[in-house]
Amino acid sequence: MTLTAQREESTRLSALGVLTTPALVVVAGAALLAYLRGQPLDAIERRSINVQVVLARLTEHLELVGLSTLLVIAIAVPLGVLLTRPRLRRLIPAVLAVANIGQAVPTIGVLVLLAVVVGIGTREALVALVLCSALPVLRNTMVGLQGIDRALIDAGRGIGLSRATVLLRVELPLAVPVMLAGLRVALILNVGSATLATFTNAGGLGDLINTGIVLNRTPILLTGSVLTALLALTIDWLVSLAEHVLRPRGL
Amino acid sequence: MSFADYLGQRWPVIGVLAVQHAEMVLIAVAVAAAIGVGVGIVVEGHPRASRVALNITGTMLTIPSFALFGLLIPVLGLGAPPAIAALVLYAIFPVLRNTVTGLASVPGAVEDAARGMGLSRWARLRLVRLPLAWPVVLTGVRVATIMTVAIAAIAAGVSGPGLGQLIFGGLARIGGANALNDALAGTLGVAVLALALDLLFVALSRLTTSRGLG
Amino acid sequence: MISGDVMIRLDRVSKHYPGQPAPAVAELSLDVPAGEIVVLLGPSGCGKTTTLRLINRLIEPSAGRILVDGEDVTRVDPDRLRRRIGYVIQQVGLFPHMTVAENIGLVPRALGWDRARIRARVDELLDLVGLSPETYRRRYPKHLSGGEQQRVGVARALAADPPVMLMDEPFGAIDPITRERLQDELLDLQARIRKTIVLVTHDVAEAVKLGDRIALFEPHARLAQYDRPAAILAEPANDFVASFVGSGAALRGLRLERVGALALEPVEVVRPGAAAVDRSARAVLLDDAGRPVRWASAGSRGAAGVAVVRTEDSVYDALDAMVRARDDAALVLDAHGDPVGALSWSTVVRRHPAGDSSPAPSFGDAR
Repeated sequence: MTLTAQREESTRLSALGVLTTPALVVVAGAALLAYLRGQPLDAIERRSINVQVVLARLTEHLELVGLSTLLVIAIAVPLGVLLTRPRLRRLIPAVLAVANIGQAVPTIGVLVLLAVVVGIGTREALVALVLCSALPVLRNTMVGLQGIDRALIDAGRGIGLSRATVLLRVELPLAVPVMLAGLRVALILNVGSATLATFTNAGGLGDLINTGIVLNRTPILLTGSVLTALLALTIDWLVSLAEHVLRPRGL
Repeated sequence: MSFADYLGQRWPVIGVLAVQHAEMVLIAVAVAAAIGVGVGIVVEGHPRASRVALNITGTMLTIPSFALFGLLIPVLGLGAPPAIAALVLYAIFPVLRNTVTGLASVPGAVEDAARGMGLSRWARLRLVRLPLAWPVVLTGVRVATIMTVAIAAIAAGVSGPGLGQLIFGGLARIGGANALNDALAGTLGVAVLALALDLLFVALSRLTTSRGLG
Repeated sequence: MISGDVMIRLDRVSKHYPGQPAPAVAELSLDVPAGEIVVLLGPSGCGKTTTLRLINRLIEPSAGRILVDGEDVTRVDPDRLRRRIGYVIQQVGLFPHMTVAENIGLVPRALGWDRARIRARVDELLDLVGLSPETYRRRYPKHLSGGEQQRVGVARALAADPPVMLMDEPFGAIDPITRERLQDELLDLQARIRKTIVLVTHDVAEAVKLGDRIALFEPHARLAQYDRPAAILAEPANDFVASFVGSGAALRGLRLERVGALALEPVEVVRPGAAAVDRSARAVLLDDAGRPVRWASAGSRGAAGVAVVRTEDSVYDALDAMVRARDDAALVLDAHGDPVGALSWSTVVRRHPAGDSSPAPSFGDAR
């Protein structure tokens, strides 16, 4: 489920690295266009590969990713904060164990189970996406908060700050890098999972891929696959930039 | 039909699919391990080469699996080949990263002693550095395996083998008698297979790691 | 200056690192005689470790020749060269995934020895460094103390019976008490195996204790003085040497002198229940088992018993014993434990050598 969990610590910003991804995206996009131009498209292919349809699928995809990610932040970050408070801290090992087992559950399974039990559509797909991508954010929020030097918290309390102020002014800012890494994983997971939403009639770029497979039309298949891949690379690149900008100074 | 009855009736089919699933994953991981360890040995000690290799294989993880399967279909057709190829591409990164980390974490004094004893580059790698890095490398293979077990469920979306067929079967029969049972069996089957392989790797690690380590 | 065979010869050896203005080692020439311990001594950054690593080509020289046993090492395959040169480092570098026996047997294995021979050699070496083969053969490095690890490190370096051994601060990471013991063991070992040993340290006391010769380095591996320890302590070649060996040099020199080499005063032995006969000599009272109890004569009044040393002990040890006993003399025993005389404080300070005017100890046994 967490394809990208392994990458958390491996990505570093370098001058070359910052420009590699956009260059790759532009080149691959141009290659796709050139391929489609040189390809005599039949009626079926034209029905899928045109600006309106592609834009509609892209919009659906972005909506799925954006909404699910917002929901994950809204749910997993407060939950992570709550679980690291002194009273609930002893639950953390159990939560982490469940989270680890959860990683072994395939997203497509969750998606289909929800479709079978609840029904098909965008709302159900959103729930599945949130269920699958909440774990890295929850995990990293807890790990980030727990990794903070206790002395800093004591120092904050010692100079007379309230618990809430220490949380907002000391703990959360210091945990931001780890939390952002988790968020990045969740976002990439959501981009990937959203391609599967097509199977439960929730649209997205996966529609093009699936149509391409079902109708055995390579241009449609490639358009969907390349656009999805480029979207994922672009979003990952944007988050890496955001990570760099949002990282607290001095860390 | 209750899930228990369903399992009682369908276990031979589920078993076959689970074996297919495991085969697909283990073939892919074996290939990825060979590539990952090989590339890791070559690039280790060259920071720039390591970074390039890690960035390329790491970027593969960003690409959604359904899209990667889709990109491979025009080349490899439908079924197991594109599925296994995609799994290989995903599984290289954890193995490569852990090989590089494992080899780099061999203590300088140990390396120095090995050189001072007159062990050749190859002998140092074979007798000292790889055995010391082994637990870390094996962890990479384990992570790659667990990860690909879940991804492999999507293979059925491109007519591939494995437990994903139950999930997609359930989807196709929504409203039908066994839709929920199929989807549940497929989903849980994948999770159980992942945990079983995880345990296998823990055992393998115990058996193959020197008692002097850890 | 050096007579006999030269095992290692450095001939105008230099090491430049690219991008660094000053050479790490500049035009160094040094002869290491066969069968001796030569200590490379100097402040950190003086290039002594670099010099050591040039000998087994862990660092390649920029210029000059290095001969080991008459052969130019720069023309030999470095791996084969290193198998003929034992190498011991401060962090030991035992291979954690291998047992003690596997660690020691690695080079013999690489040399293609058969199993029985390797096994016999491992046991022999463990015995040699004072570790029982039965107990230690199958242990892993993590189960060994620092001192035991360093012993195994020495055994591993000796595995293929190399004529030369290089030791880079071998006892630097070990607690002072164990360090003293390992130093003594190394001297014992060397008395039996007579290797050519080059040892790096920054500890003057260790250099004086272990070295047959000391090569004292100034920064940039310039050789400030290369001589026997006593000579370096007694006659430092320049101000750098004098300040490096420090203000304690004269006291350190006493470690190199044996009690038996100094003139001893006569001692009268008094058994329990008897009285001293010769009033002019020192008298020591023994107990029933023949152990010294206290001085029986008036001249000495050690407040903390009798200071006792043996003829083979160093004069430094004798002084130490006197200070601890708060006395101005120490009773000297021979190898059998029989009293042979007394060493007085003034004898030590004036350095009266034996045979000058030493009267034989008188034994006024009054039974």
